[in-house]
Amino acid sequence: MDSIQKLYRLLLFLVIGGLAWNILPFLGSVIVMLIFAFLFTTVFLNSVDSLERHIHSRGLSVLLVIGSVITLGLWFFGSFISNLGSQIKVFTHKLQQKDFAVSLESLSEKTKDALPDFMSNMIPETDKLINVAKESIGGVFQNILSILGSTGSFFFVAVMILIFTIILLVEYHDFKRSLVHYIPNKYLEVGLRTIYNIEQQISKYLRGQILAAGSVAILSIIGLFILNQMGANMTLIVFIGIIAGLANLIPMVGPFVGMIPAILIALMNNLGNDAAMAHQIFGVVPSPFFILDIVFMFIIVQQIDNNFITPILVGESVGLHPMVVMIVLLIGGILIGPLGMLFAIPTAGVLKVIITEMIFISKNSHLL
Amino acid sequence: MKTLYKNFFKSDLSQNPILKVLSEIPIFKNLSSKELKGIANLVHERTYKKDEPVFKKLAPAEGMYVIIKGKVEISDPDSGITFVTLGNGDFFGELALLDEEPRSAMAVASEPSKLVGFFRTDLLTLMNRDPKIGNKILFDLSCVLGERLRRTNQELAKSQ
Repeated sequence: MDSIQKLYRLLLFLVIGGLAWNILPFLGSVIVMLIFAFLFTTVFLNSVDSLERHIHSRGLSVLLVIGSVITLGLWFFGSFISNLGSQIKVFTHKLQQKDFAVSLESLSEKTKDALPDFMSNMIPETDKLINVAKESIGGVFQNILSILGSTGSFFFVAVMILIFTIILLVEYHDFKRSLVHYIPNKYLEVGLRTIYNIEQQISKYLRGQILAAGSVAILSIIGLFILNQMGANMTLIVFIGIIAGLANLIPMVGPFVGMIPAILIALMNNLGNDAAMAHQIFGVVPSPFFILDIVFMFIIVQQIDNNFITPILVGESVGLHPMVVMIVLLIGGILIGPLGMLFAIPTAGVLKVIITEMIFISKNSHLL
Repeated sequence: MKTLYKNFFKSDLSQNPILKVLSEIPIFKNLSSKELKGIANLVHERTYKKDEPVFKKLAPAEGMYVIIKGKVEISDPDSGITFVTLGNGDFFGELALLDEEPRSAMAVASEPSKLVGFFRTDLLTLMNRDPKIGNKILFDLSCVLGERLRRTNQELAKSQ
């Protein structure tokens, strides 16, 4: 009887293990969608609660808040894509007119003249440079096309996250109550405190991050505006600023991602412009197309953000040592890439709350 | 249609035992039936077996309990003194809504009981969602505590 039971347990374990192994890849994406939905819910919960107070309908409050955010988001991306589209059109036209090759040749010559001999020898021949540049730009556009190709799956994921977010926002307080229902009487009060602290941790972190992203966006727009006054000929500066702010949500990698659209637009707008090509930063270091100026400006914005804005708005929110934050970010990045980096700090904050409460429970078990 | 009718037209408090008990608690006395419904959706209904502790002395305190059905004994386990045995409609632990001091006594269900818990986290959520209701509860809670302080002063004066 005993061996039959053991065999039965082993079989059950194998069946459940096999099922879990097969289901996990599908569940993985669902879990990521749910995490995103939960984060969005945390971001919009206060607005929905406040609106509900005035219009006395939770469903309508959720629809109004989500509807406004979607409308704003669609307007933003719609205008950005249409503006970028027209810029790419102009840029393609420039490429077809072979201005591009001439510009690059002249840029290469001017850079070589500006640099000392030993460094000029390190720069490849103009023809090679043109081919490499053409191929890389072709590659960039190829990648953009492949990204557009995967828009379908992105759209599906976005719709699923939206549906989850709406359900969570409408039912949030009931879901929480149902969850509390399963906590044994003994751990009820500690459980409630843990849930509340986790909510607070995530909410404070997200609010801080959003405010920091907003500040980075505003500072970037101001920086780009100043560069424009110096003749950088940048367009779409509001969009670039907002993208830099949004990218800033991903720690460490984000700030560099924010520079890319600015550099691309500077390249597209200034191609064939001799003054922009001959531009020198501080009148000494060659900075063709204002590229170094842009990098320098984003570094200044990042320094302001890292040293003044983030410590005030975000730093205190999770209460983790900077060293722990760095390690956690690396682990998140290694495990699931940029997404891992995005979730790393709030996850660490949540784990910190849970571990603190578990230590409290283990030390005070006689009181529970 | 039945649910719609129930929700919007039939707000008779006697229909729901939790609502009925909550409406008689001094802390919620100034709330309208609609506001009380909101509170009833926020509180946590719990069942306790006979002799099961609701909380122990010095345990972290998070909120108050209202007895819907059953009996709860409030005692000091160190001295063995039973302060009071509370029954249907009584409430205890309300001080924990305001401060984070540990429990000063032990509460044990002396018979199978049904309680509802209203906790500090619920009050904070409520104050965030609807400050008007939050303020009403805080005001009534202050009245309850003030009344209790006055009674303690009178008893102290009598004993002297």
